Amino acid sequence: MNGGPRDPRDTPLADSGQVLRRLLGLARGHRGWMAAGAAMALLSTLSGIGLLAVSGHFITSMALAGASGAAINYYTPAALIRLLAILRTGGRYAERLITHEATLRVLARLRTWLFGRLVPLAPAGLGGLRSAELFSRLRADVDALEHAYLGVLIPLLVAVVVTGIVLATALLYLPVLALWLLLPIGLGGVLLPRWAMKKGGASGATAVECAETLRTLAADGLRGRAELALYGTESAHAERIAAATVRLQQARRQTNRLEAIGGAGVALAAQLAVVGVLVFALPAVHAATLAPPDLTMLVLLAMAAFDAIAPLPEAWAQLGATMASARRVFALADTATPVIEPQAPSPVVHDDGLSIRRLRLRYGALEPWVLDGVDLDLPQGHRLAVVGPSGAGKSSLVGALLRLYPYQGSITLGGTPLDAWQGDDVRARIAVVDQQPYLFDASLRSNLCIARPDATDEQLKEVIVQAQLDGYVASLPQGLDTWVGENGVRVSGGEARRIAIARALLADAPILVLDEPTEGLDAGTAAQLYQALAAAMAGRSVLLITHRLGGLSTLVDEVATMRCGRIVECVPTAAYLGVSSGAARASAVSPAGQITGI
Amino acid sequence: MAISPTTWLREQSRPVRRLLTTGIAAGAVQAVLMCGGAWLVAHVLAEAIFAGRGLGELWPAVAVLPLLAAARFALTLLQRHVTFEAGARVSAGVRLSLEERMRRLGPRWAAQQSSGEMVTRLVDGVDALIPYYAGYLPQVALAALIPAVILLVVLAADPWSALVLLLTAPLIPLFMVLVGRAAEQASQRRWLRLRRMGARFMDALSGLTTLRLCRATAREQALLEATGEAYRQETMAVLRIAFLSALVLEFFATVSIAVLAVLIGFRLMWGTLAFGPGLFVLLLAPELFMPLRALGTQRHRRMDAAAAAEDLIALLAVPAEAAAATAGPSLPGFTAARIGIELQQVSFGYTSDRQVLHELGLSVDAGTRLTVVGASGSGKSTLFHLLMGFAAPQGGRILINGEDLTTLALASWRQHIAWVPQRVHVFHGTLRDNLLIAAPQADARQLERAVQAAALVPVIARLRQGLDTPLGEHGQGLSGGERQRLALARAWLRDAPLLLLDEPTQHLDAATAAVIDRALAKLAEGRTVIRIAHRLDTIAADEQVAVMADGRIVETGTASALRASHGAFARLLAADRAA
Repeated sequence: MNGGPRDPRDTPLADSGQVLRRLLGLARGHRGWMAAGAAMALLSTLSGIGLLAVSGHFITSMALAGASGAAINYYTPAALIRLLAILRTGGRYAERLITHEATLRVLARLRTWLFGRLVPLAPAGLGGLRSAELFSRLRADVDALEHAYLGVLIPLLVAVVVTGIVLATALLYLPVLALWLLLPIGLGGVLLPRWAMKKGGASGATAVECAETLRTLAADGLRGRAELALYGTESAHAERIAAATVRLQQARRQTNRLEAIGGAGVALAAQLAVVGVLVFALPAVHAATLAPPDLTMLVLLAMAAFDAIAPLPEAWAQLGATMASARRVFALADTATPVIEPQAPSPVVHDDGLSIRRLRLRYGALEPWVLDGVDLDLPQGHRLAVVGPSGAGKSSLVGALLRLYPYQGSITLGGTPLDAWQGDDVRARIAVVDQQPYLFDASLRSNLCIARPDATDEQLKEVIVQAQLDGYVASLPQGLDTWVGENGVRVSGGEARRIAIARALLADAPILVLDEPTEGLDAGTAAQLYQALAAAMAGRSVLLITHRLGGLSTLVDEVATMRCGRIVECVPTAAYLGVSSGAARASAVSPAGQITGI
Repeated sequence: MAISPTTWLREQSRPVRRLLTTGIAAGAVQAVLMCGGAWLVAHVLAEAIFAGRGLGELWPAVAVLPLLAAARFALTLLQRHVTFEAGARVSAGVRLSLEERMRRLGPRWAAQQSSGEMVTRLVDGVDALIPYYAGYLPQVALAALIPAVILLVVLAADPWSALVLLLTAPLIPLFMVLVGRAAEQASQRRWLRLRRMGARFMDALSGLTTLRLCRATAREQALLEATGEAYRQETMAVLRIAFLSALVLEFFATVSIAVLAVLIGFRLMWGTLAFGPGLFVLLLAPELFMPLRALGTQRHRRMDAAAAAEDLIALLAVPAEAAAATAGPSLPGFTAARIGIELQQVSFGYTSDRQVLHELGLSVDAGTRLTVVGASGSGKSTLFHLLMGFAAPQGGRILINGEDLTTLALASWRQHIAWVPQRVHVFHGTLRDNLLIAAPQADARQLERAVQAAALVPVIARLRQGLDTPLGEHGQGLSGGERQRLALARAWLRDAPLLLLDEPTQHLDAATAAVIDRALAKLAEGRTVIRIAHRLDTIAADEQVAVMADGRIVETGTASALRASHGAFARLLAADRAA
């Protein structure tokens, strides 16, 4: 698919900085909040470290004063301890509030940005997103980006600054110690987690793959349960699930082990740092080049500094995932717009006739032509059916007419080329009853009013009656306020189709396109729909797309037959029925011949 | 509600109690070692500062520190390992019992589920259990154990400090409970909000094409922005409370350290406390609050697991239909070369208040062919479900060659059935796997014959890797006609005396339909065939037809005779032609 997100492995690692900059760029306008959050995080972490270090220094000084009987100013350190305690506590609360404020702001911005980028791509540039798998990956990617600031940026920043301050302090008191401290900090904060991450790559990939296998097995177990039961393969299916679970857990076990090493490694490094302080500072105290209170302070400083290092293993792991997510999201957002909107406003015309000449369309540069030289006219007020077997290109014709897909050849609306029209202006003139109408997770009312948010209750009532939906709406306890869609009541195929018809009627466009309005419905439901369709068509140009005309024949004046991306004939309905009855009879073969003459 | 998610989660931990106990013990031992390390550091510093000893004398104590650290490292790994194992075992067990459950619930139940949602429950929901056992549950124990260990140690070192800690520490759980209840609700609401907001965004993306067609994208974008803003304000109001519990913990942890430091400092100056124990207590104080803090960060794991558990409990509690699938394996096996079927006053309903079949009577002689027609909802598919043993009749009998179906071993009865369903499921796997699922022992020759007979040859030629092309959700798709041919080939491989055909409602183009009809006619030779016809224009004049309406057989006879009698069949024909 031309629009599918690229594999992250395609892109070189060198662009990481660029991706990160772009990610930060998205937060433009909220940088103040982000900086304030980072500052608060630093303040509270440093206060915590300072509290311990000052306390160590304080008690050693006090003990020394007690032993020697010398006078000591204990007001300043005691006050400092209280101040640091307050800063630590309040700072942490403020940090959490501010960082979440920043996250929520960035999150809202990210979503509207992504939505805006994806709009012109639908559906042509999002071909791949029709698959549930890619879609759920996009969902996970957006989630990962939302957590980038809290889970990755802040911990990394805090760790870097705290490490710098701790090393500078050590350098001030005992330069050789600063050098030594670099080792456990580097080991626990960078080397070990990076090693674990690198090593965990394979098991992480295996886990993803196994989870995917389990997903497909679960789907097979639901959709193919009857086959599994009939063929007596349910036990084999259960064994496959068990085997995939074992493999998944093996991979997760490995990941867990590496994570444990990373986490415990930080604690180990902290202990090494303390040992280092003792080894280097004890001789200095002995030689009287380091004051005893400073020794205690340095020990506690080294210990406490690792509070800032501790979140690093997790942050590194998230960084990798975040970058991969960001690359995928940016690749999708950067997909070239398939249909370029003209700069100038749409032409003003008073005629809604459509004329199609030598129209060609395909879904990718290497794909075969789905439409290959279509010629068709739909003068204002005419009703035309396009009939052909599935795969003949009928729905692609709709995609081209609505300026959703790029095409070659010419389409004119009201005598002006369609390319000169703004997509939205074209769609204002053409209302569609699509094959699989999408119902949003919202009330029935909102679902109906999408094309016309300002519709009055009277208008709404009118189209509901026209679309034969009144009985259905009356049967719902909450009427128009009933929740439909993913979290709402189940809507049958026939009901969904009628909702789509009501939607299109409400849009009140001069041209109406019906794409397989009765597909998949049983004879009774389809018959009910005809009345709704007849009402919908009143006073409009109609383009009816179907693979089987059947009862729909009463609704149109002309029938165009489409085959292999071309219109092969276009005749009045009566003529079509006369010819096709014979042709259909001849081609539909049944073992013992047809019941003829009914 | 029979059982709360938390109770259920705890009950599941019973078989892995030993692993969890080991993990908790490892955590507790680690706390003891940590105390030892802190004591050594305090000892070394006290000796160096107040006894003037150098590294030369103190090195053994310093040398023990890395050893202690290494032991703690090993214990952490052990703890993580065993608790993970506990979680993994529970989740694997739950996954298997769910699969067993699905088997009991049967095909009809499975067909009614929204597969995306159910797959999420079965895979991600079950996986969400692991962190609960691997992280949260042991941490609950450790949050009580470790502070107790530390308090005892501090009590031995300096009773006054122990008193300060004792005064502040128990207040924490108390305050956490007080603030925590509000905070827990608040944080649940926060998750809910975030989820809803995410769901709303994804909903907008799913319906993007519809939004474009309705010219509603700009409005939707503004709406997303506005809801994002509203969500932010509401969420922040919630968070201000939610973070209070953390604030309380932080406050006590920090203040008790500060108070301890000042108190210890003055007592050191007055000479009422030695430096070693004083520093030791100061080193231990932050550690007292560590496990509680860790518990706070694990809370979301509990919430995730509880949410998943709620779904799983509901799933495990779905009452199984009186499915014949529960019949034991002790029943005698069944073999027959020809199958005659008789239904005697069969009644069936999926729920007690909605009867689908009413005392239905029908008989099909061995080797003959019957076509069943009727409006949708008249019970045709239910008839097939009963014949395949996916459900058992609540009244009446189904006789197979004169034997009651309920007395036969289902597995061996099912071997006599070949089924061409209306919607063919393509399993994740190669085309070959998808064929062999019907007859795993079939050899290459039989496979070849089935492929030929079902007109799959051009399909295989189209696929890049032929029979070994991966199919299913992630593989290549098959068109409706191709799926029908796959089902036919499966039926060929099955080579069973009873053939159940459910015609596709999706219209196939004339050429494909002709190919499939020819293949079907060949397959039907010499077998007992029951066919459900949805489109009546494919019924031959001399075919034996049974018309179903409202769970009863209302007419039987040849198609031409029924047409002439102007009854139910004639009415169906008229409706069909109008459509």
